[in-house]
Amino acid sequence: MSNLLKHLSPLAPDDSGACGVFYELGGITVICDAGGCAGNVCGFDEPRWHEKKSALFSAGLRDMDAILGRDKLLIDKLAKITEQIPAAFTAIIGTPVPAVIATDYSALQRMAERKTGLPCITIESDGTRGYDFGEMLAYSRLFRTFAKEQYPTKKGKLGVIGATPLNTGLTRAGSITNSLTDKGWNEVVCLGMDSDLSEIVRASECEKILVISPSGIKAAEYMQEKFDVSFETGYPVLPEDIIQRTKFLSGKHVLIVHQQFAANALRNIITNCDATCATWFMLDPRYALKDDFTIRDETTFREAVQSYDVVIADKMFRRAARGFSGEWIDFPHYAVSGAAEF
Amino acid sequence: MNNAYSITAAELAARGFDDLPEELNSAKHMIYSSPATLDYNSPGAKGFGVKRAGLAIPGSVMLLVAPGCCGRNTALLNELGYSERFFYLMLDDTDIVTGRYLKKIPQACAELLEECETKPSAVVICITCVDALLGTDMERVCRACADKTGVPTIPAYMYALTREKRLPPMALVRKSVYSLLRPQKRVSTACNLLGYFSALEDGCEIYDLLRSAGIKMIGEIGRCQTFEEYSALSKANFNLVLNAEARHAAQDMQERLGIPFIELTRLFRLDKIRNQYRLLGQALGVTFDDSEYYQTALESVERIQDKYGNVKIAVGECLNADSFELALALTEYGCTVPEIYGTVGERNFVFIKKLAEVSPNTRIYSNLSPSMLGYRRDCELDAALGNDAMYYHRDLPGIGFQDEAQPFGYRGVTLLFERLSAALEGTG
Repeated sequence: MSNLLKHLSPLAPDDSGACGVFYELGGITVICDAGGCAGNVCGFDEPRWHEKKSALFSAGLRDMDAILGRDKLLIDKLAKITEQIPAAFTAIIGTPVPAVIATDYSALQRMAERKTGLPCITIESDGTRGYDFGEMLAYSRLFRTFAKEQYPTKKGKLGVIGATPLNTGLTRAGSITNSLTDKGWNEVVCLGMDSDLSEIVRASECEKILVISPSGIKAAEYMQEKFDVSFETGYPVLPEDIIQRTKFLSGKHVLIVHQQFAANALRNIITNCDATCATWFMLDPRYALKDDFTIRDETTFREAVQSYDVVIADKMFRRAARGFSGEWIDFPHYAVSGAAEF
Repeated sequence: MNNAYSITAAELAARGFDDLPEELNSAKHMIYSSPATLDYNSPGAKGFGVKRAGLAIPGSVMLLVAPGCCGRNTALLNELGYSERFFYLMLDDTDIVTGRYLKKIPQACAELLEECETKPSAVVICITCVDALLGTDMERVCRACADKTGVPTIPAYMYALTREKRLPPMALVRKSVYSLLRPQKRVSTACNLLGYFSALEDGCEIYDLLRSAGIKMIGEIGRCQTFEEYSALSKANFNLVLNAEARHAAQDMQERLGIPFIELTRLFRLDKIRNQYRLLGQALGVTFDDSEYYQTALESVERIQDKYGNVKIAVGECLNADSFELALALTEYGCTVPEIYGTVGERNFVFIKKLAEVSPNTRIYSNLSPSMLGYRRDCELDAALGNDAMYYHRDLPGIGFQDEAQPFGYRGVTLLFERLSAALEGTG
């Protein structure tokens, strides 16, 4: 049964991904749930929860709210918070509850904007897809909502899209910005990490955008189309210990499992092996090589790893790789095990 | 500046339970998943949420049937050794609007059993808000699973949507974990302690007191290592319910197994504990001699009184006590409780009324209120009780008092004051 997990715990879901994009932008984010989804986001998928404050709340839905479709109650609660906490926008993040009752997100958006006077972004996540899908929706709508004006280009300024803890395991932008300024950029801003909404508004002044996860591609394409800001993909923060270990691989058949752009970046430095990239998340064929593949379930993963000498992947996946006798190099992915070194 | 909403005990008591301020009524506002409380009571995370509680039956495994988001934080339980006992049937978007997955559950059970090295004693099927809304008859699905696999299968309802209902998820799961008990010949010298998924702290006087009344077998699900030990719980002559959330389970056991129950409450006021034991003794036809335990607890209280006098303590709710009853006890023992972070309910409002009489200026906050985002300490405090209170006051001595071994009775008071004393001395 393909959707039965016998060895793994569920991976980070779409609602977590969406929340991570909005986390530092000064909005009020409401997870449209009964409390459990918000607990999962705040207590597990959002490591910044314990170090950076954010107005992220659960709608606190109860069964009759859902059954009777009490959207007005939700909006009244939201409006009340906007009176208590200054915010630049509101965001409503979907979960399985609104999915089951077919919540009309467009209506929610209109009601919220009318009641609060603030822009409202709704994300129709339902908790069944990967975190990157939620991030993709959130980034795309965020830029379309706020990056509307053409600012004069600042030469040497690089904007980074995709810097979230779920993609990188990082809660601070320092290692990303340092790595990129070392490469010659004058100013590097991680959009949504250690930066606020004003940087999204002024994103068109970037000379270039670096997309470090497939979840940022749609937003980058919007910026290119609307403001002619070009983008490239990459991943500037590969863990040094993994880079060192790969130096000793030679002539091996290697499988790298991570989010696509992190996996690609690691493959680019493994020059003396035959390396394939795979991911449990989104795989954009434009950035994939011929043999790269998406992993759909535990069975295909277990079968796939058997043909490689070395697997570089989050250690949680090892439990699903029964029978694999090759070398395993741990490449932590926060969206998988919730483990990272900060 | 402290921007968090609070109300004094006197003001709250004057308004009455039917006129709670909106900020103290979680149905009336958005819910703030405060970092102060998350690690300790996030559903399914640390402590006993529905998922971990459902596995209290020795040798059982759990199949979580839900979208991925519902099981995400279950990875935390891997650290506690549960990794081999959890399985997930992941629902997609079509599943959650059509309910088509219900037909797949028996097959999923059969497949997960193939993965188990030893045959589980039971399969617990945990379902979530999706099934609450779809109105799933999970009892029927469980019967289909048991027919297919030959392994007893029971439901566990992780319905966050019904958290404030008469039967919230944590009450229902208590019923579930005792539901595999079958009628058998009862033993007059056996009883069970219901209420917690882990056992009482070993030094609790209730064991001695019950033995002094002729009870030879004291069963607790948290001490059962095997399914046989678990099955023996239905031999009990009576159940002692130590937590009101187990009342529904006790009622079910009374109906199905003929085991009557007596309800006790976890209290921290010595005179009330003594009175409770006196009433229990009357019900059992004995007179308990609890003087030794009473004296030990009293001495632990007096040591703090003598050494520190009026200690100013913030009391949270992430601890093994009712925040308001504990605050009342501390006040009666000569401490001051300037702040409580708690959830006001019908059950504990009686303590708030009494607190209003002896400590009218105690301020009551709700951890769930969004305004707690702006909480800053603006009163004098010496110590913090509870993991949430310790989060707010990291610079102060404090104790979490939220161990797995449950405090109860005089022993609970003794443990509390011994640990508080150690914390104040800087040795705890």
